[in-house]
Amino acid sequence: MKKLVKIPLIVAGLGAGAFVGTFTMYMFNLDMKLMAVVAPLLEKWYDSRDHEFYL
Amino acid sequence: MGTMKTVEKIVNPRERVGEKSPGKIYTDKLKVRSRREWRGFRDTFYDYTRWCYLMFGVLGKFIMNPRNVKGFLRYRWMMSYLFVPHGMDKFTIGLRDEALRITHTAMNFVIADVTQAIYNCFRGDRRVGNDVKYSNECVITDENSMVTFMMGFDRDEVHTILREVPTMFASNIFHQFNVMHYLDVAQQNGIAGDVCPMPEAEAGISMDDDFCVLGCCAVQNNTTCDGSLMGNGIIAKRLERQYGIPTFQLATPLRHQEPDVLDYAAEQIKEAIAFVEEHTGAKWNWDIYFDCAKRVNYATKCRNAHLEINSTPYPQFFGAVFSLYNDTNYMGNSGRDPQFVKIDKKLLELAEKGYREKRMYAKEYRHRAVVWGVQPQYVIDMLYWLLQCWGIVPLTDMLSMIHSGMIAEEDTPENREQAYRDMATLNMEMIMRNHTHGGYDVLINDLWRTCEKMNADIAMMWEHMSCKALVGMHGMFEEMGRELGIHVMWVCHDLCDPRVYTRNAIRGQVNAYMRTVMREEPLDPSLENLPDDEAY
Amino acid sequence: MRDLKHLIYFEDLLQTANNELIQKAKEKGGIAVAYTCENVPEPLLNLGKCFSIRLHAPQTGSMDIAAFYMTNLLCEPSRALLERAIEGGFNFADCVITPDGCTMMNRAVENMELLKTMGKDNPNFFHEYMEIAFKNTPADVDLSVLQCTNHILTPLHEKYGVDISDKAIRKAVEKHNKMVRVIREIGEFRKGDKPRITGYEFHVLCLATYVCPADLVMKKLEETLEELKTREPDDKPWRCKVLLVGSEVDDSGLIKLIEEQGAMVAADRFCFGSLPGRTEIVLNDEEDALTQVCRHYIEHCQCPRMMNQEKVYGRKQYVADLAKEYDVDGIIYQQVKFCDPWAYERVLGSHMLQEDYGYPVLSVDRPYNIASSSGQMRTRVQAFVESIEIKRIQKGGK
Repeated sequence: MKKLVKIPLIVAGLGAGAFVGTFTMYMFNLDMKLMAVVAPLLEKWYDSRDHEFYL
Repeated sequence: MGTMKTVEKIVNPRERVGEKSPGKIYTDKLKVRSRREWRGFRDTFYDYTRWCYLMFGVLGKFIMNPRNVKGFLRYRWMMSYLFVPHGMDKFTIGLRDEALRITHTAMNFVIADVTQAIYNCFRGDRRVGNDVKYSNECVITDENSMVTFMMGFDRDEVHTILREVPTMFASNIFHQFNVMHYLDVAQQNGIAGDVCPMPEAEAGISMDDDFCVLGCCAVQNNTTCDGSLMGNGIIAKRLERQYGIPTFQLATPLRHQEPDVLDYAAEQIKEAIAFVEEHTGAKWNWDIYFDCAKRVNYATKCRNAHLEINSTPYPQFFGAVFSLYNDTNYMGNSGRDPQFVKIDKKLLELAEKGYREKRMYAKEYRHRAVVWGVQPQYVIDMLYWLLQCWGIVPLTDMLSMIHSGMIAEEDTPENREQAYRDMATLNMEMIMRNHTHGGYDVLINDLWRTCEKMNADIAMMWEHMSCKALVGMHGMFEEMGRELGIHVMWVCHDLCDPRVYTRNAIRGQVNAYMRTVMREEPLDPSLENLPDDEAY
Repeated sequence: MRDLKHLIYFEDLLQTANNELIQKAKEKGGIAVAYTCENVPEPLLNLGKCFSIRLHAPQTGSMDIAAFYMTNLLCEPSRALLERAIEGGFNFADCVITPDGCTMMNRAVENMELLKTMGKDNPNFFHEYMEIAFKNTPADVDLSVLQCTNHILTPLHEKYGVDISDKAIRKAVEKHNKMVRVIREIGEFRKGDKPRITGYEFHVLCLATYVCPADLVMKKLEETLEELKTREPDDKPWRCKVLLVGSEVDDSGLIKLIEEQGAMVAADRFCFGSLPGRTEIVLNDEEDALTQVCRHYIEHCQCPRMMNQEKVYGRKQYVADLAKEYDVDGIIYQQVKFCDPWAYERVLGSHMLQEDYGYPVLSVDRPYNIASSSGQMRTRVQAFVESIEIKRIQKGGK
């Protein structure tokens, strides 16, 4: 019985945690701040590739 | 010279919930905003759920597929899609209530559509997914192409790939600098720097081998301008000579207001259909065509209804999202995807609700503007800024003012012949070219007619400096606007090259006009000068 | 070489748009049909009393007024034409026929119409705009026939009572061919090691056939042809021979500048040139003349706006064929600044002619009036000529 009570609580706790985490990420634009760090590295990767110009 | 037209100023009786000055969230320390806008609990939560949908429902799902990761690392333009949520935020500055929901409904659908287009491109791409069977069912078309000639083909049998849309057109909305590399490639190979950067960038992508390679054939169109027509020659050469993809040139007459070009245009549609049939093995199906025609008509009815609402004091569906949604619905879709009907319906319901409740989306509505010309992709938030900063309501734009009549939708022998003319008309009068080509009347006088109909006192002229069709009439706009008492507010830009006109240089033109000509102070001074020239 | 007897006469004719021959033709009751693009079938503008005049704006200086109407971002020829029209330089025109060929030229003429720059004293004056073919298919010929009927023949007939019968068209074609044959025969003297005419001289003569009533220049052209048959060529060889390709050249100063650097312009594949602009129209008796004329223009058209791949590659093949026929050492692809069609065609053409056909190619953009900025062009041509000479030396030639 205790287990049955625990499961919804765990689910609710996980849900609340996920909400707090994602909402913080959303509100403080952390997703885009991370991407702004990743993008220059990616740019270097694209620059390092060989290009076969064709006209 | 007549007296200048004025419109009644309307003050929003409701106080805006949440953030009063969204300019505060822009920062020059980062290339993105410091945080998201607080819109009050209800609207922030709604915005958050839409963010979740984009992050996990669209982008997360996309990147879980290893094929898409491979494509992501192969193609430079994919970098833009890291910034989709940032791009989405550009469309929602200061929005609340119905307008926020309309914008999310339309833009989320457009983003999902573009994501699907990338997925399809990677699936068939010889370098990424290399699904040969799928690729052999694909027809490549231009970014600026109405796909009316695909309306009668079964979507499960033949797939239309507008490969330039995710590669260039959409990617520039999310990342303002991402097209520069391709412009550099094109210019390094000799193309002049004074042509329109859009076809130039597309030619540059082709030269740089950064287009996905797929499809059993391709159909190109002389849609928007001389540059677009000519850039296609470079792209076709690589398609045909290096990749062995046969390419058909669908010629679309320019003087679309003249009845003596219609037969030719219809003949071209027939040839394009025959070409697709030949290379895909699929057969044109009139039942499918007329179903699509019904959906095109429904989209037109909804668009006309939105314009009707926007002509009242309480516009609801406006800004860049209006034209982007219309772009996607008409050019990329042309009635082929039934999902658009649901979205059209939902958007209209939201707009009608907003209208009934007299929703306003800024402190004051001081001016009403018809936006003419071509919008720059890298300042896609400009029209929302215009509303929030200066209280100028962007009622509609040139790109959304496309063919407003109904096409034949019942399958009869006469209508089958009429259908070719309808497809040709939609094609000739597609987005942009229905005003930039076809003689000066559709460019200049249509603007004044639209201003009259929408009760606008400002014609905001997006002057895309490399768009020869538009700037070629600069003086006439000035003179006629003065005669009619319409404020002609020029905002010059270079479409997708932010090196020529930065975001602040673009907004600065409006600021200067409003302060010096209109002698007004901004509604929200926090927005007047934003530190986002270097932002994505 | 000894100067051509009529060269100064022809040069003088090119100094102004409203030249003395136009005035003379008008005095005799002629109808001046002005046009702006090589895609308009010329013989149809020369029916009966009509005479065709391709608009040009020699000695262009300031284009400030045109820049107000069209900004300074449109190609200079289109702005120059508008400026000249506003100044009243084209007041001789009894109508203007414009194809929607390139957008900028079309806009220039639309501005002329809106500003009512012409036809103030002529109630019959009209502007007509035409759709022109994009491809060389039978449907394009049909389109062209319809467009010529609706936008050239019918208005000429209705406004000026011009005879537009098949017979009249055939007569106009015959006249046109006569002029073409003379020009092409003169052009033949550009061939060989010792050409009897320079590229500049030829351009002056050829240009006159576009911007003057052709009938009135015929006599002197024929005399020039006779003169060339016995003209003694120079002993001093040119440093090299080049083929000039590209957008419209109605400023002979450009050819002169190139030739001053030692590069003879042996062939002219540009708008206002003779290749293919001065090609005989061969008519049969089975089909109506109008259709045949339209088909001729579509088949021979080398304008970059022709978009099907057969035409795209055909244009490069045509240039390569001319290069071979005129035995040139190099090709100059030029583009007037801000010209969209040639901005792309120049790139594709210059790459293909170099990589696929093996010709040295100079690819440049230029101002409309070369006198306004000649230094850059001179340097580019000098360097090109030197590079050709160096290649020749490396191959063991002289």
